[in-house]
Amino acid sequence: MAGESLNRIDDTVLVREAQRGDRAAFEDLVRRYDQAVLRLAMRLTGSEHEAQDIYQEAFLKAYRNVGSFRFECSFYTWIYRIVTNLCLDHLRRKQVRKEDAGVVVNADGEEFSVIDQTADDRPNANPERDLLRRELGSQIGRALEKLTPRERMVFELKHYHGLKLRTVGEMLNTTEETAKNTLFRATQKLRGALSGVRGDARGDLRGGDAARRGQAS
Amino acid sequence: MKCEWVQQNIMLHVYDELADDARYELDQHVARCEACAAELAAAQQFRQTMATVTVVEPSPNLLTSSRMRLQEALETTQQGGFWTRLTFDPGIWLRQIRFSPALAAVLLLVGFGGGTAVTFRVTRGVDPIPGPSGVSSGIVPDLAAANVTGIRSITPDPGTNRVNIKYDTVKTEETAGLLSDVRIQQLLLFAAQNNTNSGVRVDSVDLLKQRMNDSRVREALVYALRYDNNPGVRLKALEGLGSYVKDDVRVRDAVLETLTNDANPGLRTEALRVLEPVRADASVRATLERLAAKDSNKFIRDQSRAQLAQLPELD
Repeated sequence: MAGESLNRIDDTVLVREAQRGDRAAFEDLVRRYDQAVLRLAMRLTGSEHEAQDIYQEAFLKAYRNVGSFRFECSFYTWIYRIVTNLCLDHLRRKQVRKEDAGVVVNADGEEFSVIDQTADDRPNANPERDLLRRELGSQIGRALEKLTPRERMVFELKHYHGLKLRTVGEMLNTTEETAKNTLFRATQKLRGALSGVRGDARGDLRGGDAARRGQAS
Repeated sequence: MKCEWVQQNIMLHVYDELADDARYELDQHVARCEACAAELAAAQQFRQTMATVTVVEPSPNLLTSSRMRLQEALETTQQGGFWTRLTFDPGIWLRQIRFSPALAAVLLLVGFGGGTAVTFRVTRGVDPIPGPSGVSSGIVPDLAAANVTGIRSITPDPGTNRVNIKYDTVKTEETAGLLSDVRIQQLLLFAAQNNTNSGVRVDSVDLLKQRMNDSRVREALVYALRYDNNPGVRLKALEGLGSYVKDDVRVRDAVLETLTNDANPGLRTEALRVLEPVRADASVRATLERLAAKDSNKFIRDQSRAQLAQLPELD
């Protein structure tokens, strides 16, 4: 808690210096949040290249407009608001184009699955379980693609980035109550879309987890 | 508690977004309702399933190349302040107009309407006519409509709680009224934020201190404390805000900022005194610890240590 308050104060100092034209202060702010920004953009765009574009556009926008930042919210919320808006635009365009789900294109133009990137270094990992996991991963990817851009954004920020819905509401310029309703809709849709998922896939994964717990104890 | 409510809120429970009392009631209900218990298990299973996909962290290479690319772009990017954004850029406007006939029509109508309204005001002489002494009886039109360009002087009348304000439009005018008068408050707020004369800013902030329960006044004083370049104005603002450090976190943050960054040692000392009632607050404590350890001002260092010494030890 004390750390959060200190961060908020330090951010304020850096923002004020950036407002006076100090570029180094702005770059300090960038380094505080850029990993989280890139991570979110990668999740939502599914492409390192496009995530990099969103990263670049978001921070340039922040730099150009930092003079008009009035401290009505934290810098963290403000930069996330810029990024989420850019990502929402991207998702809307993507929905029109209906691109491939769950496939990431790296900077060299090579395609790979988001799920494949997560190394399975668990002690009882085996190829069959890995295959099931990948299959489940692509089904989840397809289910996520079916959400509206706003539902997807709320779900991603809550589930994969662990933000409180109050913060998510602030970032999306809406209320906590609306964010809660959106999360409810998103989870209902996802549960519906994943209801046909093969029980053995989930069961095997759960079995693996149980086995891991057993080994640990 | 009805099952319907539970089923609508079960996902919030799973994602730890329910208030404590609602969470307790939901747990109690689930313990005695099989259908809801099954729903809770399914919701927890859903969360576990979704967690199968983990978030890919950007690789160090990607992060580094993104930073380098951004640094290059920043070299050639200009910061645009608030006024820059409002600056009239004929090129942009012309492009907008060329591609948007509707916008062009709206601009034309607004211009035409505005011109007509101004002519109407001039010919009818809507502005209040000052009394024989040149003092109007507190009837000031809306500030924007009255085109107030600055406040010349503020004279409080100690006996009656009335205030005399001399302000400029195209010519200097004067109005008088009670502090509770909305128009007087508008003029004071205007003076606190926009006047070039620091004496007038001191007077207006000093008077506004009596209306601290108004959030607009607190906002104006926080602004003055943060941005006014005159230490006297900042001190008056700090005096006014002092009693709100407990209840308003924005006020507390602004006072902490003054304590940490203000160029005037007197103001920093005053900020330290103002924060005394909330020194046990985590953010205040952390700032005091930092100042006690490495502030360049010996007095501030000593005072911070003294305040910390009076706080109970944290485990």
